Amino acid sequence: MTDTIIEAQSISRVFQMPAGPVTAVRDVSLYVRSGDYIGLRGPSGCGKSTLLHILGCVDTPTSGTLLFDGRDVAVLPDAARSLLRLRQIGFIFQRFFLLPMLTAWENVELPQSEAGIGKAERDRRTRELLDYVGLGARADHRPAQLSGGEMQRVAIARALANRPRLLLADEPTGELDEATGEQIAMLLDRVNADGTALVVATHDATLAGRARRELTMRDGHVERETSR
Amino acid sequence: MTIWSTMRRAIAMASRSLIRQPARATLGVLGVAAVGALLLDMLLLSEGLIVSMRDLLARTGYDVRVTATEDLPRNGPRLHDVQTTLATIAALPAVRSALAVRFVDAEVNLAPDMTIDVSLEGVTGQAPHPWTVLRGRDIRDAGEVVVNDSIVTASGVAPGAELMLQADCGAGTEALPQSRLRVVGVADFPFELTNEHTIGTTLETATAACGAEGPLQASVILVTSAGDPDAAVKAIRTARPDLGAATNEQVLGRIQETGFTYFRQISSVLTTITLSFALLLIAVLLTVSVNQRLGEIAALRALGFSRGRVVADVLCESALIVGSGGLLSLPTGAVLAAFLDRILKNMPGIPSELHFFVFQPSALELHIALLAATAVLAALYPMHIVARLPIAATLRDQVAE
Amino acid sequence: MTFGSFESFEPFGSFVRSRCPLLLVAIVLTARTADAQSSALPPVAISRHLAEARHLSVGSTIRLSTDRAGTDVRDFRIVGIYEPTPNPARLGTPDLEVRFHLPDLLDLTRDPATLPGTEPISGLNVALTDPADAGAFARDVNARLPGINARPASEATGTAGPFLVLRRFHLAIAAVTIGAATVFLLALTIMLVDERRETVGVLRLIGLPARRILVQVFLEGLMVAAAGAVFGLVLSLASERLINRFFQWRYDTALIFVRITPDVALTCGAIAVPLGAVATVMASWALLRRNALRLARR
Repeated sequence: MTDTIIEAQSISRVFQMPAGPVTAVRDVSLYVRSGDYIGLRGPSGCGKSTLLHILGCVDTPTSGTLLFDGRDVAVLPDAARSLLRLRQIGFIFQRFFLLPMLTAWENVELPQSEAGIGKAERDRRTRELLDYVGLGARADHRPAQLSGGEMQRVAIARALANRPRLLLADEPTGELDEATGEQIAMLLDRVNADGTALVVATHDATLAGRARRELTMRDGHVERETSR
Repeated sequence: MTIWSTMRRAIAMASRSLIRQPARATLGVLGVAAVGALLLDMLLLSEGLIVSMRDLLARTGYDVRVTATEDLPRNGPRLHDVQTTLATIAALPAVRSALAVRFVDAEVNLAPDMTIDVSLEGVTGQAPHPWTVLRGRDIRDAGEVVVNDSIVTASGVAPGAELMLQADCGAGTEALPQSRLRVVGVADFPFELTNEHTIGTTLETATAACGAEGPLQASVILVTSAGDPDAAVKAIRTARPDLGAATNEQVLGRIQETGFTYFRQISSVLTTITLSFALLLIAVLLTVSVNQRLGEIAALRALGFSRGRVVADVLCESALIVGSGGLLSLPTGAVLAAFLDRILKNMPGIPSELHFFVFQPSALELHIALLAATAVLAALYPMHIVARLPIAATLRDQVAE
Repeated sequence: MTFGSFESFEPFGSFVRSRCPLLLVAIVLTARTADAQSSALPPVAISRHLAEARHLSVGSTIRLSTDRAGTDVRDFRIVGIYEPTPNPARLGTPDLEVRFHLPDLLDLTRDPATLPGTEPISGLNVALTDPADAGAFARDVNARLPGINARPASEATGTAGPFLVLRRFHLAIAAVTIGAATVFLLALTIMLVDERRETVGVLRLIGLPARRILVQVFLEGLMVAAAGAVFGLVLSLASERLINRFFQWRYDTALIFVRITPDVALTCGAIAVPLGAVATVMASWALLRRNALRLARR
C-alpha cells in the first residue's frame, strides 16, 4: 500500500438532465494520503457530495482518472469496487441510513459479517467500536430508540467496522443540532487522530475548519485550497 | 465467500426485513396461503377424477369391459344371447373369469302409496359379484336379492324380508307385473350413486322382472383377465369382432374425453389464473417494499455490499413469503378440497365413492415447483430495480426528499 | 316447457340412468351424391360435425340403420346442415346428429311387434301463447292426464341440476379468490398508506382531526377502487372473448363458456369498490392511532 490512498486526476462529472447537461464536478484534481483530514466546503449544489461519491467509488467520473492505491478504479468490475468499499472505505451519510430492523450492535456487526470476519472477532470488534463512540450501553437499542446524535455515532462505528483506510463523511452534522454536531465533530477528530484518513463534505464552516486541508468548491470546481 | 454463506446471510436479512413490518408480512403470507390452497386444489382436481375412477374400477377386480358397441357401458344397446357370449369369452385363455350384468330401473313398494326408485343389477357368470356383502349372505338362487344400506334405511328391511318390485325396462307402454323378491343380505355397491337405492340379483330374476322371454340380454360383461388385460381385449376382439372390448385404462380414456374433460380444462384455466394472480400480487408487494427502502439499499451498496448480495436479499424475501405461505397452503388446501369435493359430489350421476379431489404426490411436487417458480419470477422486477440502482443518485435523492 | 322424461346431464355416461324410452343408434353406412331419385326420399337434417366428418353436403343421400349389422336400412336425403345446440354434457364429443320428421324416425326405429301409432316418445315440447302461464298449464295437464309428468322448462333441471352444482362450485372458488385478493389488497394499502405517514403526521400536528383525514382517505380509496373496478371489468370482458374463442375452437362447439352479464358486472363492482375503500380506511385508521409526532418523524 502506498502513502497516497486516492489520487483524482482532472475528474469531471456531467449529468444528462431533461433540460440539458449539468456539470456537477468540473476538472478536479486532488490526492488523499494516509492520515489526511480534508474538508470539502461549499454552498449547496457546488458538487461536494458528487465529488465525495466519486472518491468513494460509489459514482464514476464522466472524464478523468481516479486511482485507488495506484489502481485505476474505472477498469475495476463492480464486484471489485464493492469489495474496495467494504474493506478500504467507510461511509457516513447525512441521513445515517441505519437499518431500522437491526439493533445498534447488529448495524455495526453487519459489514464485518459481510467481509467474512469470524463471530468471535466480530463480537470483540463491535464491542470495541460501540465503546469507542460511547454507546456501549445502547448496543441493544434500535435506531428508533436513539437520538440523532446517537444514530450518527452508530453510523460512524459501522463505517469503521472493517478498519478502512479512508472514511468519507457526507454532511455528517447536517441533521443535528449545534451541540450534537460538535460532539460528532470531536469524534471525527479522534478517528482521524487514530490514523484513518478523513474527507468531510460539509457546508458547515466550523466543521470544515477542523480539517488540516480545506478545499472550497463552487460551481463544481475547487476554488481555493487552504492548508493548516 | 461461498454462495451458501451469502444466501444464509441474505435469508437472515430478509427475515429481519419481514419481521420489521409484521402486518404486511403476515398479510402477504396469508394471501399466498389462500392462493396456494386454490392452486393445490386445482392440481388435485386435474387428475383427481381419473385417479379416483381408476381406483374404483380396479377395486371391483375386473379389468376388461365388453359391450355391444364401442360406447361406454350403459350408453349403448344391450348384448344379446348372453349365455353363449359369456361362455365364449370365459373360455379364452387370456380370460380368468367373466360376469354378465344387466341394469334395470325399477320401483319398490314400501307401503300403500309409498314407492322408491331403485336400480337393479342382474348378474350371471362364474366371476365374483360386483358388490361386497356386509350383512347376511350373497344371492344363490333366482328370486333372491341383496340390497344396499340406503334401501335398509328407507324401508327398514333386513335379511329375510320380502320386497315387491316393479321394473321399468323401457319396452313399451304396458305396465310390467310386480316381482316378489326375498332379501338375503345387505351389500355395498362400488358404483352406486349418493342416496341411490340399489338391488343386486341374478340376471334371470332381472330379466323376469322385465317380463322378457328367450335368450338373456346384458348391459355389459365384466371380465377379469388372466394377467394381461390388453391380451384379453385382443383375444375377445378376435373371437367376437362384433363386440366392443376395453381395458379399464381405455374406459378411463373414453370417460376422460367426455365428462371429465370439463374439470381438467377448468383446473387448467384456474391454475393459470391463480398463478398469474399470485405472481402479480407478490411482485407488487415486493416492488413497493423495495421502492420504500431504496435509500437503505443504496447505503448498503455504498458500504460495500455487492450487487449480488442485495439482489439475493430481495430473492430471499420473496422465497420466505412464498415459502411460508406455501406451507400454510397445504392444510388450508386440504380443508378447501374437502369442502369443494362435497359441493361437486352433488352432481347427478356421480358414484358416491368417486372423489373429485384426490391427493397425489405428483400434484404436491408440481405445487411446490410452481410456487418456487412464482417466487423467483415475482422477484425478478424488484431484483432488477435493486441490481440497477444508481447508488449516488439514490443517496442524493434521499437527502433531497 | 317439457312433458315426460328429460335426459339429464350425463357427465359419466354409464353411471347415469337414461330415462328415455327410446335409445336410437343410427349409423351412417354410405353417402351417395344426389340424383333424380333422391328427391323422393324422406328429408333429414344433419349436424355440421357429421357433415364434416363424413364429407356430406345438402343434397347428399345417406343410409341409416338402427344396428351395426345394417339391417332394415333406409335411405334419406340431406336437406339441411345445422349447428347443433351445444350440450355441456357432451363436451369434447363430436355432435354426430341426424334430425328427422317424427313419422320417419318412428318408421325407422319401430319394433316389428309394435303397432304403428303406439310407439313411445321421449317428451313433448309445448310453446304457450303466454309463457307466464307455464306453471298453471303444467298443473292442469297433470291433473287431467295421470301418468304424464308436465313441468315448466325452467324447472326441468331440478334443484340438484349439474349447472346449479357447478354454479356453487364456481361461487366457492370466487369466494376464496376474493378472500386472497382482499388480504393482498390490505397488505398493499398498508404499504401505500405508510408511504404517506409523514404527511399524515404533519396534518395531525397542524390540527386536522383524524376524522377529516379518514374522510379524505376514504374518498381517495373510493376513486381508486372504482377506477380499478372499471379496469377489471374491461379486462374481464376482453378475457371473456378470448376464453370463449379458445374453448370453442378447442372443442369445436358453439357453447358459451364465460358470460359476463350486467348482474355479474354489478355484483363484482359492488364487492370490489367497497372492499378497496374499506381497506384503505382500515390501513389509515391503524396509522392514525399512532402518535402524530412519531408519524412526522422519519
